[in-house]
Amino acid sequence: MVPLLYYQLLSAALFGIGLYGVLARRSAVLIVLSIELMLNAVNINLIAAASYLNGIGRVIAIFVITVAAAEVGLAFAIILRMYRNRGTVNVDEINLLKW
Amino acid sequence: MLPGRNVELYGGLLAVDGFGLFFKVFFLAIGIGIIAIALEYGKARLQHRGEFYGLLLFSILGMNLMAMSRELLTAYIALELLSFSLYVLVAYGLREARSNEAGIKYIIIGALSSAVMLYGLSNIYAALGTTYFSGIAAALSSPATDNPVLWVGLALLIVGLGFKLSAVPFHMWAPDAYEGAPLPVTAYLAIGSKAAAFALTLRLLAEAVAPAGDRWADWQLVIAVLSAVTMLVGNLVALAQSNLKRLMAYSSIGHVGYTLAGIAVLGDDFALAAKAVIFYLVVYAITNLIVFAGLASYYNSTGKDNIADLAGLADRQPFTAAVLAIGLFSLAGLPIFAGFTAKFYLFAAVADGGFLWLAGVAIFSSLVSLYYYLQVLRQIYIEPAAPESGTEGDAAAEHGGGHHDAEPEQDSLPVPMLPRPSITLSATMGVGVLAVIWLGIYPAPLLAVIEFASSAILPMG
Repeated sequence: MVPLLYYQLLSAALFGIGLYGVLARRSAVLIVLSIELMLNAVNINLIAAASYLNGIGRVIAIFVITVAAAEVGLAFAIILRMYRNRGTVNVDEINLLKW
Repeated sequence: MLPGRNVELYGGLLAVDGFGLFFKVFFLAIGIGIIAIALEYGKARLQHRGEFYGLLLFSILGMNLMAMSRELLTAYIALELLSFSLYVLVAYGLREARSNEAGIKYIIIGALSSAVMLYGLSNIYAALGTTYFSGIAAALSSPATDNPVLWVGLALLIVGLGFKLSAVPFHMWAPDAYEGAPLPVTAYLAIGSKAAAFALTLRLLAEAVAPAGDRWADWQLVIAVLSAVTMLVGNLVALAQSNLKRLMAYSSIGHVGYTLAGIAVLGDDFALAAKAVIFYLVVYAITNLIVFAGLASYYNSTGKDNIADLAGLADRQPFTAAVLAIGLFSLAGLPIFAGFTAKFYLFAAVADGGFLWLAGVAIFSSLVSLYYYLQVLRQIYIEPAAPESGTEGDAAAEHGGGHHDAEPEQDSLPVPMLPRPSITLSATMGVGVLAVIWLGIYPAPLLAVIEFASSAILPMG
């Protein structure tokens, strides 16, 4: 069997890519997409660990999928409100609140 | 629920004990206070008021579950329930651009922090095979556990909780979210979400990590450094603020620093720190409630929230000015007010726990915080009230001395009096002021209740 470490490295790599996306993207939609990528990396970690330990990690993964879906719904509602108010989803352009 | 009897629900996921019970009553009282602040504000400025109160109730449910949870996934789900309600509440000012911007910043950073915390949870699960706090404590106590994945998991879990608490390298969402959100939601963020996150952190550290002995000592140093940086940054940046809500945000970051110092000295045989932290949370909540109630009564009358706009409040709304003065003195930690007693217990616990340098930094930050609280009080009590306000200003300026005719009995410029605060706000402020003064002079009954609460998570104290 493939050692657990490889799955954990895959999960860490995906998490890092998602983190880079959150920090470097300008469009709010792409930032939310990167957060989804991070949450899916967590899922890979959980399911791989559950397969090796024969534990309840798969159930935790189902909870995570549900919470991620709800979070994305909320995030897009707020982004939609921003788009209606400003006409853009570029996060660099929202800078009324400073220091 | 009799003292001394602990019950577990759902096979160990939730604990019904003194700690959970105390915090549930506490969160419900906070909810009542926030609803009292939100009544008049909501009628004037919020659309969809029904959903506002519904979201508030859901978030209180989330807070209750956070205080009761004994397992990482339950804690995470409860934390997300609280956070989702708050994301929507912060963005509730639909027409205000600042509210929308605060909502965007809060949800993006909040989602990022929950992903980080979840990654930590998954690492802990991968290393140990269990997510129960008691399982983590058992694994950490045995010297055979030496898995780097576990350390990464614990560190990321603390990072995720640090975001929720707005501890310092993770605090960037707090000033924007506090400034943009509607005022009752700012009060709720400052009081409710912080208290719930602290309840969760207390239970997590006391049940899962503190029993581990010398491994805990390493983490204690990490939390102590976090606390020192939080205190210093929160109080020093607050010196430069000119918006009231932003000032309260940085002030609450400073208070999070003090409370984290108390958490850093937790130990399996040292329960004084847990009692001091819980007492500090209660006092912080009551004091912030009266400060925000005062700010709400001023905002309801004028719609302004900058520090300079408070000029002359002592003449215009004397009751609100007095309540704000008592609240700010208590936050600064001046005697006979509850803030002094709370800080005294907390800093004494920190010094007893061996972190003398941390107590010194805390006292220095407390002194610094006095400056910016006094700045607000200077505006209220010493600066004269501006003679005109709002649109009347231009008309009066055109008419030159026209306003002299309106108030012939005044020998100088008339003071534009503000309406008295509403009944609910006045009642909230009155009860809160009485509580602040009572807890400052005679905290023993509350301390007895807190003893009952903290002995549930630290049985040997």
